[in-house]
Amino acid sequence: MGSSLIWYLREFARAEWIKKFLFAKTAPLVTPSYFRGFPEPTGKTCQHALFCMMACPAPGAIEVVHAGDGWIPKIHKGHCIRCGLCVEACPNGVLKSGRILETLEREGTSLLFSFRIAIDKELCTGCGNCCTACPVNKQVDAQMGAGGHSSNDEVIMRVQEGDIVVIHEDKCTGCKTCEMSCPNGAIRIARILEGYQQPVQEELQ
Amino acid sequence: MNILQRIKNKVRSRSIHVAYVDVGSCNGCDIEVLACLAPRYDIEQYGIFVHNNPREADVLLVIGAYTPGWEEKLAMVWDKIPSPKAAITIGNCPISGCLFDRKGSFVDPPVKKHIPIAAEVPGCPPRPTEILQAIMSVRDSVFFDWEEEHP
Repeated sequence: MGSSLIWYLREFARAEWIKKFLFAKTAPLVTPSYFRGFPEPTGKTCQHALFCMMACPAPGAIEVVHAGDGWIPKIHKGHCIRCGLCVEACPNGVLKSGRILETLEREGTSLLFSFRIAIDKELCTGCGNCCTACPVNKQVDAQMGAGGHSSNDEVIMRVQEGDIVVIHEDKCTGCKTCEMSCPNGAIRIARILEGYQQPVQEELQ
Repeated sequence: MNILQRIKNKVRSRSIHVAYVDVGSCNGCDIEVLACLAPRYDIEQYGIFVHNNPREADVLLVIGAYTPGWEEKLAMVWDKIPSPKAAITIGNCPISGCLFDRKGSFVDPPVKKHIPIAAEVPGCPPRPTEILQAIMSVRDSVFFDWEEEHP
């Protein structure tokens, strides 16, 4: 017992041990650059596609707001859950977060949006409010008046013989303006989000 | 400020006792608070101890979106903490309700309107480093000059 006591005293009297005991510190806490933070702007111009807002799973986390002449996505801390879906969804690469953009490029993945227009024929009165409210229709056929009649074949939808006809579903941008203008709740826009992967070939890398 | 007050300030800011209450979270933020205790983040190297007893605590960590069951109880817990004291909310839920604050749900965020909050840590969940930073910033802003502001 005596010898072990002496051994311990000698062990603890070592200068190196005392120094470690008094001045030991864990390594400083640094956040690695590849951690997904709150999305930040990359400096590219926002084209107002609004895919970030559509992909966002957290209510009220991202808004595209006016900034001078253009638009800018604004992240609300306290709502954002840092999932990075807005970064993935943006077709122009306006936002960045961690190494999401690098991974997208390496893996050849992308998120694609498409929209389906569903009209309940039972509820639709053929008033044409949706056709006149639609901002895409407005650009294609500026002459379209109340009633939603149009002689232009390039519009998304128009009223023919008292019934609404959807012609170009693929032109829909998913803004849901028509939903809001419908007095009967007859029109519904479904936003469909698809994940695609197109593997990058080895020799191209 | 006399020497006793100076010592009090120093001691208070070097020894923070933390209590946490979960007012209806999904348990994600609780895990992150727990991760602060683990060797990697090691909250005790900064002199912060988790006691989980409001009468011993200086800092109250509030986690969760404030469910109806907490209506009188959270204020009761807050009143039991002897001053100087500070409350920190952890995560998105106490700030905005985030995913839980939807039509038909009974949660009542933000927690700010029920008890005074000194700092908020956004994130779903926030990282342990961010929780640590929040506690440290409260330490500097509330406890370090308490004696000067409340003579």
